[in-house]
Amino acid sequence: MNTPKTYDQLVEENEALLIQLDEATETIHAIRTGQVDALVVEGKDGHELYSLKTADQTYRVFIETMNEGAVTLNEEGLILYCNSTFASMVGLPLSKVIALSFETFIPPDCKEQYEQLFEHGWTEDTKVETSILSSNGLVPCQLSVTALELDGGVAMSVIITDLTSQKETQKLLKSNNERLEEMNIALEVSNHDLQQFASVASHDLQEPLRKIQMFSEILKDRHLGELPADSVKYLEKIIDSSNRMRTMIIDILSYSRLSTQNDSYEIMDLTDIVHEVLKDFELRIQEQKARVVVGRLPELEVNPGQIRQVFQNLISNALKFSRSDQPPVIEIKSLPSANVDDPADIPFASISISDNGIGFDEQYVEKIFSLFQRLNTKDIYEGSGIGLAVTKRIIDKHNGRIKAHSREGVGSTFIISLPLRQNNPS
Amino acid sequence: MPLDEAKKKILLAEDDVDDRDFFADFLGDRTDIRLLPGLTTGVEVIEYLNGVSLSELLPDVIILDQNMPKLTGLETLSYIRSNERFSRIHVVIYSTYVGQELVDECLKRGGSLVKSKPVSKDGYNMMMDEILAVCKSVPVG
Repeated sequence: MNTPKTYDQLVEENEALLIQLDEATETIHAIRTGQVDALVVEGKDGHELYSLKTADQTYRVFIETMNEGAVTLNEEGLILYCNSTFASMVGLPLSKVIALSFETFIPPDCKEQYEQLFEHGWTEDTKVETSILSSNGLVPCQLSVTALELDGGVAMSVIITDLTSQKETQKLLKSNNERLEEMNIALEVSNHDLQQFASVASHDLQEPLRKIQMFSEILKDRHLGELPADSVKYLEKIIDSSNRMRTMIIDILSYSRLSTQNDSYEIMDLTDIVHEVLKDFELRIQEQKARVVVGRLPELEVNPGQIRQVFQNLISNALKFSRSDQPPVIEIKSLPSANVDDPADIPFASISISDNGIGFDEQYVEKIFSLFQRLNTKDIYEGSGIGLAVTKRIIDKHNGRIKAHSREGVGSTFIISLPLRQNNPS
Repeated sequence: MPLDEAKKKILLAEDDVDDRDFFADFLGDRTDIRLLPGLTTGVEVIEYLNGVSLSELLPDVIILDQNMPKLTGLETLSYIRSNERFSRIHVVIYSTYVGQELVDECLKRGGSLVKSKPVSKDGYNMMMDEILAVCKSVPVG
């Protein structure tokens, strides 16, 4: 028995018919716009294939397979044609998209922009960045419109480029940039703190220390006779300690200033620098009956003041850590560059400074270049333990390397490798 | 013993009272210099110089502490060098810590010498010897 259909069922049926109609329209449209390559029609002799291949098949394939959405609109803004990319962008079947107004896919806050685009697009090719509505939410995209003269009149082609991944990349870049910026600010602050510290250390800390030195000296000068013997001893210790503290403050200051100094490099003959340094040590060399042999050293692009300090420190160490049973012999010479195993293949020059002093156990070789590291007790060899740290830092700043070899009781050799030229960005 | 006129007139500007005393204590008995009463700021130096009517009475050497309130040693130096009348005066800057920047800047502004503050009586006398040696030449400013 056929039961009468309910209203709902009728509406449903009607809708289904409308969809069928739509699909039929769509098929016709698809044939007209070249989306269909062939039709199979059932005739009296069975199925027959009607090929629709035409010259524009290449273009149809091109449009269908491209990554951008492509639609054409009529003068009312209704969608005449769309490729499958656009359909999947908005998350609807192809058949549902055709004949809808393109505005359907424009979110409310982009409507005005779209209206302008649609109006303007008939006279001039235009591009805008906007969003379209899809079943999964908003899709950021670029719309690029062009007016077309077709057989049946005018139409507007719209190419829709999905910008989702581009936007994500941009967002990522932006957040990375922001992070970098934050880190830069933090670095600047810490640099500033360091400079503040250097300035405090340079003046404010030294001022009271100098007073301690001065008044201890005065006390010793004027009242030496009145003081008991052990008081004089204590006074001497105060003076010694304050002298040592002053040396350390000055040394740590010169170390910290290395990072804030402006670097200016000049091409210098290292032979000249070494001879200058030796002049400063003339008296000590005479006193210790030291023999210093200086070979021909290369011309390098260096910061003269800093490299001078390197040789000063190394020669001073060679004189300081000499053996008591024989006069020091110091040899400063250029090494053949073959000794350098440089992976970056930048031309380097190597210089060795060797002595016949007390040497050190090579297991401590890493330690000697660290701040305040001493391998000897300070009552025998005075010093702040900062000289080699400064030396290494200077060599690092010159993009060079420093190595040390030593044998206890035999002597030490320091090898400096420096690039011939510094690549300063000009 | 040199005549009084041959003694170099030394003017010190130093805000630290101990440091002014060290000067007087250690250098007061030298026969080759005459210490003018010590001043405490660069501003006082300027007032003092402007108050001297006879050029012969101007100091031969002005020693400026770098770190003084209001006007630093360098700023006071610049003021002194801006006035032709004081061009004969040697200006020495001394400070607890002497960095290369201070040396460069002082010489650029027409100072004669930069010294770090001595830590002993001998240090003071050696500094003064060096200052007097430099003063034999004409100020470059």
